Amino acid sequence: MNRIRAIAWNTFREAVRNKILYSLLFFAVLIIVSALAIGNLTLHEEVRTIRDVGLFGIDLFGVIIAIFVGVNLLYKELDLKTVYTILPKPLRRWEFVLGKWLGMLLTLAVQMVVMAVVLAVVLAFEDAHFDVAMAKAVWLLFVNVMLVTSVAVFFSSFSSPFLSGFFALGCFVVGRSVPDIRALGEKMGPTAKAVLNLACSLIPNLHLFYPSGAIIGAEETSVHRQFVGADYLLSATAYGVAYSLVVLVLAMLIFRKRDFV
Amino acid sequence: MSEIVLRADELAKTFHLGFFRKRVEAVKQATFDVRRGEVFGYLGPNGSGKTTTLKMLMGLVFPSHGRAEVLGRPVPSREAKRRLGYLPESPYFYEYLTPEEFLDLVGALCDVPRATRKERAARLITRVGLDHARGRPLRKFSKGMLQRIGIAQALMGDPELVVLDEPMTGLDPIGRKEIRDLMLELKREGRTVLYSTHILPDVEMTCDRVAMIFAGRIRNVGPLSDLLTARLLSTEVSFRHDIGTIPSLPDGAHVRETPDGMLVDLPEGADVDAFLKAALAADASVVSVTPRRESLEDLFVREAGAQKGAA
Repeated sequence: MNRIRAIAWNTFREAVRNKILYSLLFFAVLIIVSALAIGNLTLHEEVRTIRDVGLFGIDLFGVIIAIFVGVNLLYKELDLKTVYTILPKPLRRWEFVLGKWLGMLLTLAVQMVVMAVVLAVVLAFEDAHFDVAMAKAVWLLFVNVMLVTSVAVFFSSFSSPFLSGFFALGCFVVGRSVPDIRALGEKMGPTAKAVLNLACSLIPNLHLFYPSGAIIGAEETSVHRQFVGADYLLSATAYGVAYSLVVLVLAMLIFRKRDFV
Repeated sequence: MSEIVLRADELAKTFHLGFFRKRVEAVKQATFDVRRGEVFGYLGPNGSGKTTTLKMLMGLVFPSHGRAEVLGRPVPSREAKRRLGYLPESPYFYEYLTPEEFLDLVGALCDVPRATRKERAARLITRVGLDHARGRPLRKFSKGMLQRIGIAQALMGDPELVVLDEPMTGLDPIGRKEIRDLMLELKREGRTVLYSTHILPDVEMTCDRVAMIFAGRIRNVGPLSDLLTARLLSTEVSFRHDIGTIPSLPDGAHVRETPDGMLVDLPEGADVDAFLKAALAADASVVSVTPRRESLEDLFVREAGAQKGAA
């Protein structure tokens, strides 16, 4: 456990000392703060706009950071040859991958908390609260980001950062559209429908983590009115964790067999 | 015979490169052992398979054939890795860390208790002469400083066997001497050192035994004194050029000018006494007489030539 903790802490420390991540975080904060100005352009919808734009900013930059760091997580160790120093230590390869992933999650969690705090401050300017619904929405976005990171790490265990980024982004876009793809399948022939359903089963259903506006149990969910309950939160989290662990184990298996020439 | 610390048994590695999966045999059945308390040199020209062999021993590359053991434990098991320290060739470390942070990380990976880590890191930083750079990030380190922190990290787990891949490459003469001295110090502490190199004078100064690898195949393993022939190859006689005359040369002798005079290279079997008598009778000023026996470089060049001829 100590070895995994050491790798995780080092990964977090690397992110904290990485200027690019600060730039991304700066733009995320900029978008969230700009929600204040955009909200003022609307008629009596300031709080609603701030919540929507704020969550959009957290979602967008969370995913960008997850893909950017996720695809580089293992590749950078190989490219900079730091892996030649670390892996000959009494450390198992899976421990290394798990430690890197946990460090990455810690980084993302801190960034999400920073963005959420900024959003709460912006809401406070309009005398609104960062309520339970908002906290639940941010939690779901965090699970979403965890899953995207795991997918990015999986691709980066066998391909270049460019290809890994491309695949991970593709997964994100398609994963967010799973209900639309299923609906499209309903309108097509049985073979096409089966293929689309199979694809939807393999690709992570990321729509689960952005439920605002979706119909769940015959009711429309919204962070402004009726948001998801604890059971939904729990099942979505379980799905995200399970999917992440499966792709992470696949990444470990691939990494375990690699020659570091 | 001393205890065997590391045993490589018919280690081989074949890579399949490119689109057409071209076979490249990097190492062909390397067999050698390293004994407790010795400095063992693994010699070979660039691209001969030295680094690939060491990477197989470190678990970075999987052998296509054969096996290796460290103190009876198979490589790359955790038990084996716990007893060795490794410095890779041209090492790269986490450049955003300071030496103390880096050694603390390495200590944690080697299961060194937290309380011991801090004290050991401080001691190793002093030992490799980096006290002045204690708080500086590694990105600001010179090549020589990186090599020294690399050796410190290899010692962080208090290993019995220290494996160094080309530790002298790119260092200036002072840096090379420091690394040589450090290796001999490790030996005095009772540790075993295995290092790869193609810098032969360093080997002659430090190694108890060597293995030579050419084009992936090991040619010689043993103590230097056993590998080098004791026979006289030639005798060099140097003269000051402004005094006396040099006598007639025996068959096979060569003369070349030096800044201070002349150097006569008498072949094996030449009558050196008779030549010197004749030189002194002609009032020539003999500066030195140097018998030349086979050096490691001669052996290395001979073996490399034989390998080329066989290929």
